[in-house]
Amino acid sequence: MGQALIELSRLGFAWPGQPELLDIPALRLQAGESLFLKGPSGSGKTTLLGLLGGVQKADRGSIRLLGQELGALSQGQRDRFRVDHTGYIFQQFNLLPFLSVRENVELPCRFSRSRAQRAGQRYGSVDKAAASLLAHLGLKDPALLARRADSLSIGQQQRVAAARALIGQPELVIADEPTSALDADTREAFIRLLFAECRAAGSSLLFVSHDQSLAPLFDRQLSLAELNRAARPASDLEA
Amino acid sequence: MYLLRLALASLANRRFTALLTAFAIALSVCLLLAVERVRTEARASFASTISGTDLIVGARSGSVNLLLYSVFRIGNATNNIRWDSFEHYASNPRVKWAIPISLGDSHRGYRVMGTTEAYFEHYQYGRKQHLQLASGRAFASDPFEVVLGAEVADALHYKLGDKLVLAHGVAAISLVKHDDKPFTVVGVLQRTGTPVDRTLHISLGGMEAIHVDWHNGVPARGTGRVSAEQARGMDLTPKAITAFMLGLNNKISTFTLQREINEFRGEPLLAILPGVALQELWSLMGTAEQALFVVSLFVVLTGLIGMLTAILTSLNERRREMAILRSVGARPWHIAGLLVMEAFTLALAGIAAGLGLLYLGIALAQGTVQANYGLYLPLALPSAHEWSLLGIILGAAVLMGSIPAWRAYRQSLADGLSIHL
Repeated sequence: MGQALIELSRLGFAWPGQPELLDIPALRLQAGESLFLKGPSGSGKTTLLGLLGGVQKADRGSIRLLGQELGALSQGQRDRFRVDHTGYIFQQFNLLPFLSVRENVELPCRFSRSRAQRAGQRYGSVDKAAASLLAHLGLKDPALLARRADSLSIGQQQRVAAARALIGQPELVIADEPTSALDADTREAFIRLLFAECRAAGSSLLFVSHDQSLAPLFDRQLSLAELNRAARPASDLEA
Repeated sequence: MYLLRLALASLANRRFTALLTAFAIALSVCLLLAVERVRTEARASFASTISGTDLIVGARSGSVNLLLYSVFRIGNATNNIRWDSFEHYASNPRVKWAIPISLGDSHRGYRVMGTTEAYFEHYQYGRKQHLQLASGRAFASDPFEVVLGAEVADALHYKLGDKLVLAHGVAAISLVKHDDKPFTVVGVLQRTGTPVDRTLHISLGGMEAIHVDWHNGVPARGTGRVSAEQARGMDLTPKAITAFMLGLNNKISTFTLQREINEFRGEPLLAILPGVALQELWSLMGTAEQALFVVSLFVVLTGLIGMLTAILTSLNERRREMAILRSVGARPWHIAGLLVMEAFTLALAGIAAGLGLLYLGIALAQGTVQANYGLYLPLALPSAHEWSLLGIILGAAVLMGSIPAWRAYRQSLADGLSIHL
């Protein structure tokens, strides 16, 4: 067994004034591993990602990221820890429309010195890191880098978002339904690119989706509904 | 400063609203500065209505009243003073020059002032400027000559050589005219921006001549009448004048002489220092000026509230932007800082544009304003006072920006990284 990147134990969380949403006895993600986490909407996956990102704090239990207990950090420290070690890709509209493609990719390096340093060490500079990540993800045209992010197609935008998540080699990449806006052909191609780049960067991938057809591509798959022991509303249990 | 870059890019993305907001601030800033500048200049020009005169002496009344009728040609003297009182002080060794003035008549709404050549020689206004003739000459030995102020000549289209008739009293429409003794225009003064422009100047002899056959405020009838020709042959030394102005050899003796005049035994006199009386008068008018200032402050406040509204309205549609920033590592205080910076940028742009508008306005209106209102608006850099006003506006904008900043801060804590709109 390699080093545990994420280690959840006896995690419990409820939004204020609501019944408990998450009750997860254990969840581990190994370094370098790609994990498919199946979660229909309403299953608490957004909340789980928020907890992993340190945006919310668990009510009980522990969340360890790279051996660091998140609950022991202050809000500001958690924010810094998140950007230093985690890259995010969301469903769509991931990019700031008013910035150029290049600036969007470089954003994490603006807020995290350690990611800027790592990008610089590996590629020579943040600029070069952005350009070569984009090139690896199939966006080779240098003119494209200077274009406004919202002038790209959805598929291109998701690849820009992937480059942004990967810049500065964070240990963990969290992808929340990144392919839901893509059509079936580009979906698999996108995931393969993502795998390749995660591997190159040495990042683990936590991929959350409701689309079971993608699951076989991953090292391992889990279902949030099975992991989570919190009482679900009747309608969800039937589904 | 990467946050500033983000704030600018985000503003540029909403450039139409941003421009309108900045424009509203610009207009309000321009208005405030314009009011401020006119206020300052009006005060300065008011204070320089008369200069170089050490004492104004008239019949005993109030100092503001004396100043009003002797300098501003507003209101009337309660009493005349005797000619020998004037001669008494004109020959005082401490007095360098003395200008007698005699008021009470008018011409189509403009006041007529009887005086001597000393007036053209010694009267000063503004930064110790003397009166200059635009054309013609000062009145001379003939009593029926008149020198017009610039506005009188302009408004009534008088040229040199024109004849005009003075009216008795100062009402705009006078029924009693001195039509038996017409005056000839011999000179027109250059514009001064002071009440001198609205005055017709005649000699004391002329003033005496038109009243020589009057008794108890009505003209003589029939055989008692004196023609202009006859008047020219008479001794036209006046028995009474309205007031006189004094210039002293030594400014230090001003207070001594003032006390002496106020204690004069011959008749009750009042001597005032024009500067002091001007200040007294200005403090009376200060309220209106302050009201104008307060109104323009409120206009600035309105502009800033417009900015606040624009930023607050944008917050909801920018939740995604905030969430994306959070996901790439922006901390909540970054988000708050972004909004404060946005407010700062809008206000700064507004202030810069407002200054631009102000200078453009001054450049365009400078000539007209000076010609019509006698106000010289300089194209000068903002004064320390104006800078501090602008600083306060900027500070207020940042303070206001902290309201949406606080809301965005709370919002970004609650929304976290994922926002599904």
